[in-house]
Amino acid sequence: MSVDTSDPKPISAVSAGQQVAIFKRGDWWRTVVLSLFWLGAILPMVMAFFISFKTLSQFARQPFILTSPLHWENYDLAWQVVQQFILNSLIISSVTVIGVLLCASLSAYAFGILDFPGRHILFYMVLTLMMVPSALTLIPSFVLVKDLRLLNTYWAMILPWIASGQVFAMFILRTFFESLPKELFDAARIDGASEWQSYWRIALPLSKSMLGVAAILNILGTWNNLIWPFLTVTRQDLLPLTPGLWTYQTANFTRYGLMMAGILIGSIPLVILFIFTSRWFVAGLTSGAIKV
Amino acid sequence: MWLPLATGVYMAVEQMPALPEAAQSIGAQERKKTLWKRIREGRVAYLMLMPTFIFLLIFMYYPALLGLYRSLFKWSAGLQGKFIGIDNFVRLFTKDKVFLNSLDNMLQLAAWYVVSTVGVSLFIAILIHRLRRGRTQYTFRLLMILPVVIPSIVPLMLWKFIYDFKVGPLNVFLTWAGLETWTRPWLADPNVALYAVMLRNFPWVDGVAILILLAGLQAIPYEIVESAMIDGAGEMRRFWSIELPLIAGQIKLISVLTIMWGVQEFTAVFAMTQGGPINSTMVPGMWMYFNAFSVGKMGYASSIGVVLFLITLVLTVVNMKYITTEEY
Repeated sequence: MSVDTSDPKPISAVSAGQQVAIFKRGDWWRTVVLSLFWLGAILPMVMAFFISFKTLSQFARQPFILTSPLHWENYDLAWQVVQQFILNSLIISSVTVIGVLLCASLSAYAFGILDFPGRHILFYMVLTLMMVPSALTLIPSFVLVKDLRLLNTYWAMILPWIASGQVFAMFILRTFFESLPKELFDAARIDGASEWQSYWRIALPLSKSMLGVAAILNILGTWNNLIWPFLTVTRQDLLPLTPGLWTYQTANFTRYGLMMAGILIGSIPLVILFIFTSRWFVAGLTSGAIKV
Repeated sequence: MWLPLATGVYMAVEQMPALPEAAQSIGAQERKKTLWKRIREGRVAYLMLMPTFIFLLIFMYYPALLGLYRSLFKWSAGLQGKFIGIDNFVRLFTKDKVFLNSLDNMLQLAAWYVVSTVGVSLFIAILIHRLRRGRTQYTFRLLMILPVVIPSIVPLMLWKFIYDFKVGPLNVFLTWAGLETWTRPWLADPNVALYAVMLRNFPWVDGVAILILLAGLQAIPYEIVESAMIDGAGEMRRFWSIELPLIAGQIKLISVLTIMWGVQEFTAVFAMTQGGPINSTMVPGMWMYFNAFSVGKMGYASSIGVVLFLITLVLTVVNMKYITTEEY
């Protein structure tokens, strides 16, 4: 008896194939519409790029289209100012993120893996903080930082940001720790490992990508904060990037080429971060949608 | 982009009913131990929680409670406050026209943010999802997130420039198109300033919302879509009858996050107009900032903070009771 090895053609195959063809044909207009949206979204950046090479007289003659000669010195001059802001931001954001990851992973380990009296009460104490908007704490925090004599120091930003940033990081990490197999930690305990060793040798190495996601979200938050640094730091040389760029723009609003060059330089650090961590970025940005 | 905080509010809501399950697994012998003994055994845990709670006590609980408390005072920076009960709130809602107007502005802004974010992101997400070639799909997904990594202050500054009266591209364009009568100082004209702030970032591409919606669309099992197509459902039918109901959860999520964010947000107003001209773009957050740090009415400003807190709280409760669904 011969076996028919060829796939029996389902009736729907033909029509489905036609459907696919129709879809592929539809791709071109979708590509066009999507490209238009994207171009619209980045058009201001393109404009900034063109203007950034202009002197004032070039701008007066032809404001929005690239004209030669290109004045690279705008970038040179802008860099002189903006580099300090970038450095400040790098210091502040990296110290903050280290503090956040340390505190958050420790407390996430305690809440997620360990059992102790008061666990629920303490956990809900942290949870309620999520409903407190920054508007409520802005003024008292400012008074507090002022009383602690932290105004015009990096700490005025780092310490409050560790406090507020760790809450969200703790939630992500706790959920992740809870999903790890309990046997792992039981085995470690039987082998005589202390909880500190389990935390450092098991929990942390296993959650590298989650730590990455938490870190990225935290960095985005601190990097983009305008109001708080503007309030607590008045010394120009201590300003992080976001408020720094803002004061830079206010000071150079009519020197268009210089202003745009500064804005573009200030955009670069996060883009570099994105290039190296795009996977964490994507996971982090959608984490609100993941059911935690 | 939303603040992580706003995302946090949402997650907190999601988490409320789910108790950490380890609590239920305490064995019978564990329960026999005295509380004191269990506390002693848990000392590692308390040590681990210590850094977190030290930070929280100093920089979160204390300011939050102080904010609630100080809203009942007439209090200027550096001076001893005077207890006046709820007078601050009475004045806010009966005498302060700027504040009442700022609430109206806040509602308009938040409503627009929801409509534009959901509308545009849904359209873009559907278009990307319908792309047949995987590579094109991937490319657009990446391109749409790219603007997220530009510091959020940058578009605000660029749009302030775009709206500039003399050299701003918008007026230059209108003049070029022969619509000179339409040109105006967009951010300095009290009649249009709020709408100028509102409509910034045209065409309102929001990479995060697009990603969330796209994730929802891609989670729809292909069999459902396929069977509908075999039954002769067209593109529109497929969208209304299958995709839209199945990503309702994601749309709700985005709406809730955007509203929560829209209530608190005043960075855009701060960077573009500072609430002016003639308070026409004032939002509660900005009004609070102004009262506290420009005219030194700290107690009064704290009461605005409390109002914002209460609005957030009500939204959270409404969301928790009536909107949040478990289907995603």
